[in-house]
Amino acid sequence: MTTHPDSPALSLPPELHAVLDAALDCVVAMGADGRVVLFNAAAQRTFGYTAEQAVGADMAELLVPPSLRARHRDGVARHLAGGAPAVLDRRIEITGLRADGSEFPVELTVTRLRGAEPVLFVAYLRDITDRKLAEAELKASRIRIVEAADAARRRIERDLHDGAQQRLVMLALQLRIARGRVGDGDESAALLDEALAELDGATAELRELARGIHPAVLTEGGLHPALRALAARSAVPVVLQEVPDARFAASVEATAYFVVAEALTNVARHACAERATVVVREEAGALVVEVRDDGCGGAAGAGGTGLRGLDDRLAALGGRLSMQSPSGEGTTIRAEIPCAS
Amino acid sequence: MDRTVLIVDDHAGFRALARKLLAAEGWEVVGEAGDGAEALTEARRLHPELVLLDLNLPDGSGLDVAERLAATDPAPQVVLTSTHDEDELHELARARRATGFVPQRLLSGARLEAVLSGR
Repeated sequence: MTTHPDSPALSLPPELHAVLDAALDCVVAMGADGRVVLFNAAAQRTFGYTAEQAVGADMAELLVPPSLRARHRDGVARHLAGGAPAVLDRRIEITGLRADGSEFPVELTVTRLRGAEPVLFVAYLRDITDRKLAEAELKASRIRIVEAADAARRRIERDLHDGAQQRLVMLALQLRIARGRVGDGDESAALLDEALAELDGATAELRELARGIHPAVLTEGGLHPALRALAARSAVPVVLQEVPDARFAASVEATAYFVVAEALTNVARHACAERATVVVREEAGALVVEVRDDGCGGAAGAGGTGLRGLDDRLAALGGRLSMQSPSGEGTTIRAEIPCAS
Repeated sequence: MDRTVLIVDDHAGFRALARKLLAAEGWEVVGEAGDGAEALTEARRLHPELVLLDLNLPDGSGLDVAERLAATDPAPQVVLTSTHDEDELHELARARRATGFVPQRLLSGARLEAVLSGR
């Protein structure tokens, strides 16, 4: 890289140069011809050029990745021809190019110095590689937390199933064999019948507990049979209008299932509805879950209900939960769950 | 003549109890198997009328085994069973070419007859 003696650097008092060089952010200025006239110390560290190399060079050639250069130059030309400034005076995120050819994410604002003659654009930039990495790591770790919680629930359900439930089943079969060997008039018959009834109750309670933790039918058969079962148990009549038979990632299926379960619980408790409608469909890389009711509407936000917990779960998966509940017009809960299938 | 049944479950305790229970109601238990692969071998060898098939087998899902059994000739009837007794498993079983589903704790000869006759 050679210096560009023909393009004068911005002439500033030495104190002002010192001020700019002390800044943490990169400060880069260019003229109407697109050539760099100011390149502070932070810019030198970030992009890997000395001020002598940068000043006088074409800014786009120097700092903008080849794939973005045409757009950048068009923007500048349009602005200088009197067009509305598209990128001036607001924060934008874009990709920068270092001297070694590597690209990295930057945030920046560009301003055009008012009244400056000749034209002067000044950009303030920051390398946001670390923040981007931290954001990606945060996102990944939130997804891992949801997945770990789901896996733990499945494990608890399986342990209950393989342990206590299995033993109760064996006990029921043994009692029924014993009952079969005792005549109806026998004193023991009544005792065995009572024991069987008691056992039925215990089994039902355990089953409800296991189902609330994680429904086995969801693991075995996916959303469609699991939602059919949920609909069948609902206190308010439920129409399953549309549910895909396809299987999705376990965390996606569990989230969709719990959204419908929670929404139907709310309908039964608060909505004074006669009917609820459930629609689940794949739309542009997301599984969209909608539960509508024909009740009184006017529900106050997702807060205070079990939906808030689901909101966190959805946010962790990069999805979102929304509710519409105009008074007198019923309530619609809508969840969008990203699913790459 | 007694109806013949093959009992498939990885839990020997369940197999023994089911054998006792069904025998007491006039079924002939012609064999037992502990996993899906053994179930397919034994079904081909013994030609039972009915395979009582656990949903969770050590080598995979009973649903897959049910489908493979349905493709054998002559195909036995298949009733899936599980310690789960969720009603929806019945439908799931039928979707995979099994005749039906009976929760393990409610297993009896009469219940099997009811499932087989579509009641």
